[in-house]
Amino acid sequence: MNTRIMPEFDLLLPETVEQAVSLLDKYQDKASIISGGTDVCVAMKSGYRTDFLISLAKISGLDYLEYDPSTGLRIGAKTTISQVLSSADVKTYYPALWQAASIFATPQLRNTATVIGNLLRASPAGDCICAVYALGGNIVLQGAEGQREVSVDEFWLAYGVTARKVDEIAIELNLPAPVKGNRSSFKRLTRTNEDLAKLNAAAHLEMDGKKCKQARLSIGCVAAIPMRLEKTEALLKGAEITDDLLEKIVTNVGNEISPIDDVRSTAEYRNQVAGVLIKRVITQACCKS
Amino acid sequence: MSNFKTVGKSERKLDARGKVTGKTIYVDDLQMPGMLYGKVVRCYEHAHARVKKLDLSKAAAYPGVIKVLGPEDVTQKEYNNSVIPLMVPEEMQQVLGDIDDQKIFTKHVKHYGDAIAGIIATSAEIAEKAAEKVIVEYEPLPVYLTSEESRQPDAVQFVEGKPGNLAFELPEPVFPNNTMGWGDVDDAFEEADFIVEDEFYVPKQKQCQMEPNTYIAMYDEEERLHCWTSTQMPKSVQRTLSKLFEVPMHKFKLHTATIGGGFGARLGMILEPEVCAMALAVPGRHIKLQSPREEDWLTSPSRHPGRYWMKIGFKNDGTPVACDAKFVSYKGGYYLDGSGVAYTTGGWLSAMYKWGALRYKGETYFTNQPICGAFRGYGNPQTNFAMEQLVDRACNKLDIDPVEWRKRWHKDVGDDGWCAGVPLSSCALDECLDRGAEAIGWKDKRAKYAKQSGTIRRGVGVGVMTHTSGASPMLLEHTVSTVKLNEDATAVVTLACTDMGQGSHTTLRQVAAETLGFPVEDVYMNVDDMDAAGYDIGAHASRTLYVGGGSVKAACEDAKRQLFERAAGILEANPDDLVMEDKNIFVKGSPDKSVAAEEITKAGVYNFLNPETGGRDKEPGQIQGYSSYFPAHNSPPFGACFAEVEVNTETGEVKILEAVNATDIGKAINPAIAEGQLDGGAHQGFGFALTEEMYFDKDGKCLNNSFTDYKMLGASDMPKMTDILVENPDPYGPFGAKSVGEGGLVSPIGAIANAIYNAIDVQITEAPITSEKIVNALKNL
Ligand SMILES: Cc1cc2nc3c(=O)[nH]c(=O)nc-3n(C[C@H](O)[C@H](O)[C@H](O)COP(=O)(O)OP(=O)(O)OC[C@H]3O[C@@H](n4cnc5c(N)ncnc54)[C@H](O)[C@@H]3O)c2cc1C
Repeated sequence: MNTRIMPEFDLLLPETVEQAVSLLDKYQDKASIISGGTDVCVAMKSGYRTDFLISLAKISGLDYLEYDPSTGLRIGAKTTISQVLSSADVKTYYPALWQAASIFATPQLRNTATVIGNLLRASPAGDCICAVYALGGNIVLQGAEGQREVSVDEFWLAYGVTARKVDEIAIELNLPAPVKGNRSSFKRLTRTNEDLAKLNAAAHLEMDGKKCKQARLSIGCVAAIPMRLEKTEALLKGAEITDDLLEKIVTNVGNEISPIDDVRSTAEYRNQVAGVLIKRVITQACCKS
Repeated sequence: MSNFKTVGKSERKLDARGKVTGKTIYVDDLQMPGMLYGKVVRCYEHAHARVKKLDLSKAAAYPGVIKVLGPEDVTQKEYNNSVIPLMVPEEMQQVLGDIDDQKIFTKHVKHYGDAIAGIIATSAEIAEKAAEKVIVEYEPLPVYLTSEESRQPDAVQFVEGKPGNLAFELPEPVFPNNTMGWGDVDDAFEEADFIVEDEFYVPKQKQCQMEPNTYIAMYDEEERLHCWTSTQMPKSVQRTLSKLFEVPMHKFKLHTATIGGGFGARLGMILEPEVCAMALAVPGRHIKLQSPREEDWLTSPSRHPGRYWMKIGFKNDGTPVACDAKFVSYKGGYYLDGSGVAYTTGGWLSAMYKWGALRYKGETYFTNQPICGAFRGYGNPQTNFAMEQLVDRACNKLDIDPVEWRKRWHKDVGDDGWCAGVPLSSCALDECLDRGAEAIGWKDKRAKYAKQSGTIRRGVGVGVMTHTSGASPMLLEHTVSTVKLNEDATAVVTLACTDMGQGSHTTLRQVAAETLGFPVEDVYMNVDDMDAAGYDIGAHASRTLYVGGGSVKAACEDAKRQLFERAAGILEANPDDLVMEDKNIFVKGSPDKSVAAEEITKAGVYNFLNPETGGRDKEPGQIQGYSSYFPAHNSPPFGACFAEVEVNTETGEVKILEAVNATDIGKAINPAIAEGQLDGGAHQGFGFALTEEMYFDKDGKCLNNSFTDYKMLGASDMPKMTDILVENPDPYGPFGAKSVGEGGLVSPIGAIANAIYNAIDVQITEAPITSEKIVNALKNL
């Protein structure tokens, strides 16, 4: 049962990434990072305990969002969903991420919650995760040994578990520079508008006229971690996107996933509707530009 | 009628400014010197179990704990969270079989979250930590979540005297064959050309009032027990608690607090018994007892869920020759409102249409769900969901326009309302239907949506309702009010009617001002002194403006009569010939010879002997008006809601595009407040129809007792709403007013269900109508 009272913890306020890393190194799994806190604080009121909360609040310079046509998009660890939403570059070049931000929670939450926090929470229902997974890219981690980059394709390992090592902090998300013919889109299904997804999906297509040269499709809420639909992507690769193909995709997606029942929906429904959602994101991506 | 000064005007709500600026004080904001904090220890291991061993010693030893309370450390008397039994004569309570079956702390856990012990500590944190040190051993019992399980002969009995765990059925002495209705239903079905029949499921919906549950109590040096509570029913709760704790009523002070919403959840008590028991254990100390939001789903009553079977026979011309229905509801672990909802559900069914014959059975069985009780609509939503869908199914078969059918067959003035023998006093449903249909573009849309293909389908639907204004004559209806005229000719109205946010203090003030003939600013509502205020049942059954307003009106008429009598003495005129304008009283038509109201009220108070005559020049005495009011009727309101939806047949997504809520209000005392009630009602009605439901795993653990997973519609889910207030003054209500508090929730349910039916040609018989159910139903076509 939930409590109104926070369990006791020490709040640590490092001023540099290096200090944060050394605190992580010192306390290991006794410490948790807190960024916007919209996941961590909720969890702490329903049983999650940690001895040390390492806050990013005092570390400056992490709340950037920079777009460069040749190198792509860089999103800092403290960049909020609202910042993403107010970026014309994201809206133009990474519509899937912008769309995920646009339906994300509520205005209050969007002002607090971070994109990196969403990725690091590693929930299969995460909306930014879903969009970012389709868009592709790298997450920059910094630990005692220095920095490394992990591709989003190798980042989510199990429910709530990422490739981040216990002494590492995520400092940045890199999304690749858009190439010509790049399109993307994101959609989700919820019980009410302000809700967590019962299904979410994103498509990232590289189009050459009517033909799809390359596709990345991601789908959430159908497994313990967000999923890529590789078989369906293969159907798209090199193909012209026709109604027939889309109908084939609708049935194919159902065979590629094995969702479960939970509080938000049923396995049966997810199985039946996932393909429809994928069809929608593909169609939406195609007509957007 | 149009020369009202304040009645009919959208005066600003008295509580608006404080609430919008965050200044309003709730119980939770109160800090008392030396206050202690309580914590109720609850069972979250089982939904049905016996407590084998309870060891509170470790909790008691926890630093900062003042006292621990087990089941034996508090009163052994049993009670019932609801206060409804107070409102029927004792003999009737016996006939109904109303029982007290709750204990402060139980040894027989009957639902997930049942209370087993209490802790009193110096801080809320300490109390909560100490609660974790309580050691309990349980003997698990089989968990029954439905009546199909709990009624089995070998099932564990919840209480003595309720065999088969049948908490209530319509009692034989009042309802022969345990049925309500008229005519011979079986014979009548013989005359039917065809029959529609189905079984529906209605959900366990929760009120979700904004304010969580917080109480303070204290037993003072004068042996007076105080309780600060946001109950809807202060006087009834005072009476119930004084009996429970065997404290005479004058030694029980109930402090009413701002009510952050009620919707029936506070129709009676929630944690008042627990906090008072704690206060009695530590005399002289204030105790605050708060429960986390998540516990509200588990500890305050919900709507009654259950299975509703209904069968209606029609002639080819649409005549509804017979209706046969049975509602079997799943009570929670305790009895409260056991007789009420099972009865009224049928009452609403009997009140709506001119059935040739009617037979209704209502049964409710104990289950291991959290408690059920009162919720805005009180049985009416359940009936609406089943009845309105079946009517539309029949209209479809008969090829009759659902609006026309309803106009032809709804009950009307002179027909019995929900209570047999009490004929309807007014009814403007036809106008609601006509104006609502016009506003939504009914005819065009029905024609347009008749034939659709593709994945996006639209539908438009209608639902109607009738409700009540107060519960008379089934239940006691009584409000006392006094109005005192101050020396400066301003007025203070004192009464116990509560305002849960619905605006009743504002509308009652308008009734007072209009009746007195004073400007509304000159009337103060003294609504938080329960020692001074006379009796009032409390806010339920959409009664406050109707009954409370009737009482305020009578008290103000009494005061005004006294004022005019004195004026008549001064003006040497007949009181009946007097009028008042700008607080000057004069003979109608002769304003130049007048006396100021203030002159009379001042002289009544500052009244001196004339040294020359030895007598008094002016009449002495402060004017007070008084009323102890029992209404003569229950003036049922009617209403029609129209809704337009868009359904995606591939995903089952439902979007509400537009809704029109038209209501037969009699007279809108404050139109903006009335519209607020309609919009808020529609919001909860749409929620019932589409998203709201508590659910459980097989062990009875509630899976969605939080706003993360109990989904109410948010602002962005709501459609464009049009409210239509049809004013057709009722002969009984104050200024012709009828109720608007509950009914606005009811008809939106039928409207949404029927709009979905219109869109996809399939009826979903289980509420809420989720995307999952729609996709499933379409798949199985
Ligand atoms: C009311 C409400 C509505 C919500 N709606 C949505 C929604 O619509 N869609 C959705 O996807 N989510 C939603 N969420 C979940 C949550 O808001 C998001 O997951 C959010 O992006 C988390 O970001 P944060 O900055 O608040 O993370 P935090 O709570 O601070 O952290 C989340 C996790 O990431 C870790 N972490 C954070 N930053 C770092 C870092 N730099 N390095 C390493 N680890 C880090 C933390 O330790 C923690 O495990 C909602 C939450 C609430 C309370």
